[in-house]
Amino acid sequence: MAIVLSIDNLSKKYGSLKAVDNLSLQVEEGSIYGLLGPNGSGKTTTLGMVLDVIRPTGGNFSWFGNGINKATKQRVGAILETPNFYPYLTAKRNLQIIADTKGADHSNIAKMLDLVGLGTRSNTMFKGFSLGMKQRLALAAAMLNDPEVLVLDEPTNGLDPQGIAEVRDLILRIADQGKTIILASHLLDEVEKVCTHVAVLRTGKLVTNGPVGTILSAQEQLIVSAEELAPVLQLLERLPYITRFAREKDYVVVTLQEGYSSTDLNRDMFAQGIVLSQLVARRKSLEKQFLEIIKS
Amino acid sequence: MNLLRTEFRKIFPYRTFWIILAVYVLLLLLILYTSSSIVINNKALGDETFQFPGLWKRLTYVAHFFNLLLGILVIVLVTDEYSFRTIRQQVIDGLSRAEVVLAKFYVVLALAVFSTVFLLMLGFYFGFVYSSDKSFQAMFSQIDYLPYYFVQAVAYMTLAMLFAFIVRKSGLAIIAFIAYTKIVEPIIHYNLPDQIDKYFPMKALDSLTPMPGQDLFGQLTSPIEQLSPAMATLPSLVYTGLFLLLTYGILKLRDL
Repeated sequence: MAIVLSIDNLSKKYGSLKAVDNLSLQVEEGSIYGLLGPNGSGKTTTLGMVLDVIRPTGGNFSWFGNGINKATKQRVGAILETPNFYPYLTAKRNLQIIADTKGADHSNIAKMLDLVGLGTRSNTMFKGFSLGMKQRLALAAAMLNDPEVLVLDEPTNGLDPQGIAEVRDLILRIADQGKTIILASHLLDEVEKVCTHVAVLRTGKLVTNGPVGTILSAQEQLIVSAEELAPVLQLLERLPYITRFAREKDYVVVTLQEGYSSTDLNRDMFAQGIVLSQLVARRKSLEKQFLEIIKS
Repeated sequence: MNLLRTEFRKIFPYRTFWIILAVYVLLLLLILYTSSSIVINNKALGDETFQFPGLWKRLTYVAHFFNLLLGILVIVLVTDEYSFRTIRQQVIDGLSRAEVVLAKFYVVLALAVFSTVFLLMLGFYFGFVYSSDKSFQAMFSQIDYLPYYFVQAVAYMTLAMLFAFIVRKSGLAIIAFIAYTKIVEPIIHYNLPDQIDKYFPMKALDSLTPMPGQDLFGQLTSPIEQLSPAMATLPSLVYTGLFLLLTYGILKLRDL
């Protein structure tokens, strides 16, 4: 897979404060890459640097193997922080300006407004938009010249549940077209639902990165129940890959070692003639995992 | 030129822009109209003021006071880009920092063309109404004050643009601009001999539209040494270039 964005030891200092500290990561083509971290962890600063609006104090980055210039900028559609538009201009006129800057075809404007569900509001002034509409207009602007990469900074910030669901759905639909998406978020749930890869940041440092499955769901908990719990408990004692188990009222909570899944447990139970009436995989609370990751 | 077209897309639907421009046009019309109808010693001042060819010198001298409004207009247009954060978005979307400066400089040029053409029309209108000598020779012999005025307006607005990019907030930028042009530089002039301070930016710019009848004035008091409009053109152009370079340098050094 080709590397879309490569960041190498990137740093940004504001006085003595290190907003981003020797950050290195690579985004592969076709991935949905989440930058996850609490507020103030350097997500926006990092994106600002790779988007040419914040000067790095040190380090390098490259898009598609090149530095940032007009040609690479036209292959990347980006929103940084809040949606930025002229409040006194209509949605359509705002997009005309952006189409000029990006060298995009003006016939895309109506298409994109329709795509984000603003087709009927194209002649409404930006300042009359709700927050959700502003976010959607920003998405339309970012996609205006059909870029290969979308960079989205907190795209669901301030939206109501329906708006959040719509935007996430839109992101997944865009990703289905084979585009690469870089998404900054402080919402674990969002990264987990949308992203394929994640980098976790804390106070400007990279804590961990990799595919979402291995970073955010290393441990699974299983809920097991059967007609008779006694043989189940006996077997659990003997199975080597069980980290721990605890009996609750009429079920057992089991934690497996890494690399094992509910399939293994089910197979072994069945081999011993135990038929389970319930086998549910429950992920450890993501919030808990996240807090563990950023504390460690 | 595509940059200018995009700037026009931002400006033309903007009410604030039209209000400031309307104030500029109306104030200029008002002062010319009022001065034409003042009667001194049974003689309408208009007959004096609007005689070709001296009219061009008087007109551009009056107009140069209103450059302040054009400067404020430029400051508003530039600082808006910061308060709407659209400057950031445009750089993300593909503009280089040089293009950001250039786009605004094109607006400055367009405004200067507008005000110069407006003065040309005013000159012809008032000249045709009041001037006794309407020969070709009289009408055009001193029309070179218009290009001088154009150079002055461009330089003045470019300085305003520099202040806007440095300060980034409209109110503060306007105060800083007025404080520099009307207070700080005059104080510096006061403490320096004329031979040196005539090359200072505001003084060189003001020399492009000299006060009518200053020669007479100078004979009554001590003569003021200042550059002739022709001599002031080159320093003014150099200053314009310098302001542009400084603006670019500031954008290059700072985060957006």
